[in-house]
Amino acid sequence: MSDVSAGRQADAALIASLLERVQAGDREAFMTIIRLYQQKVFVMAYSILRDREDALDAVQETFLKLYQKAGLYKPGNSFQGWLLQMAKNISIDSYRKHRRKRRQWETATPLEDIPVAAAPERDGDSAASDLRQAFARSVDTLAKRQKMVFIMRHYNELQFNEISEAMAISIGTAKSLHFKAVQNLRKRLAPVLGIEP
Amino acid sequence: MRRNTMTKTDWAAVLSGDRDAAGGRAMTPGDGDLPQRRAEADAIDRILEETAAVRSEIRQAVASVNWDALPAVIAGRALAADGRAGRGAQTRAAGWLAAFRMKPALAGLAAGLVVGAAAMYFALKAPETRPGSGGAYYASGEFLDRAELEMARRNTLDYLDKGQYMLLDVFESAGPGPVLPAAVRSARARDLLQKKKYLNAQLEGLRMVKAKAICDQIEMLFLELSQIDGELTAAELGKIRGLVEERQLLLKINLVRKELESGV
Repeated sequence: MSDVSAGRQADAALIASLLERVQAGDREAFMTIIRLYQQKVFVMAYSILRDREDALDAVQETFLKLYQKAGLYKPGNSFQGWLLQMAKNISIDSYRKHRRKRRQWETATPLEDIPVAAAPERDGDSAASDLRQAFARSVDTLAKRQKMVFIMRHYNELQFNEISEAMAISIGTAKSLHFKAVQNLRKRLAPVLGIEP
Repeated sequence: MRRNTMTKTDWAAVLSGDRDAAGGRAMTPGDGDLPQRRAEADAIDRILEETAAVRSEIRQAVASVNWDALPAVIAGRALAADGRAGRGAQTRAAGWLAAFRMKPALAGLAAGLVVGAAAMYFALKAPETRPGSGGAYYASGEFLDRAELEMARRNTLDYLDKGQYMLLDVFESAGPGPVLPAAVRSARARDLLQKKKYLNAQLEGLRMVKAKAICDQIEMLFLELSQIDGELTAAELGKIRGLVEERQLLLKINLVRKELESGV
């Protein structure tokens, strides 16, 4: 058995044991799980919500839900994938709730066309700023699954196997969606980048 | 000179990290013979640079959070909610009654409702126990018979109406007017045959002999019509017309309809 897979099994065993203790109401075990995954959950939420406070709320909601549903975790599956899927769903729900707040910069955007993280416009270099804005818009308009894979790959810095677990798709599909996302971004940004589409 | 043959698959492999852009057949900065490919590679580099900028924004946000304090806050909330949920079930019933203790008007209203409901129950309860009153609903046999008869009457009228229109359509299609398509005619005939199956039981059960006889004769015609898939030939049409005229079907339909409309 390789070191990596042995390590994964040990991690899985540790998580399973922590979750068992969480179900029994062990505060320390629950805090250990939060410490291990809070930043990953935050990055996922922030990528979708683009607001620090909203993302923190989503992190809390995700772990509260985990506390209630710890018994539903199936030990054979990836815990991180399961947790991130939960975080993604909670963040999208939160986005729905805060829709009115965001209306000033949102047009009639379909539900899943959620704004993803993008650097704010900066003074100074206008060409760079144009590219940044165009980039943000282009990522926003990607197809839902392409966008989620792109976010997870580049903002969450997940590996494709982790993305496939979080999105319940095969690794090949995740790679293919990522490739399509980059190609579409290239096409949409072609005028700004000064290349042929 | 080795040609650069970076394919879609190669790009996918590079983007997904399966292959280094500098390895295998990948391009190198020295490959100046394919400027379009180089521009494409540059574009993708710039896109990936933009993602790095966004990532840096996310990292700043991550750095601004007090991660040491957050687990305790979340755990506190979770355990508090858990405790409330446990206590909530026990106190829910008590809380409901407590509301009445605190509000005499509400308690009076609730008592009034209970007394009123009890009074209605005793007032509406029949002096004698009806047969078969074990169920929630009771209807007399006479009422059920009348309802059944009424349903049969309506169904028969509907069947005769549709049958009459159907026959008229068939006869008109032989004239100069618009022709009823064979598929439509055949489908309608099948539909009426289906209806007749349900009608048979009602007509027999209620001994509506006259209505059943005329419905049976129409059924024979529809059976013939449903089996003719194409357009009616002159011979077929003549045969059907002959049957209708011989048995005076249209006249009989009208008579039975009138009888049914005025009550069986």
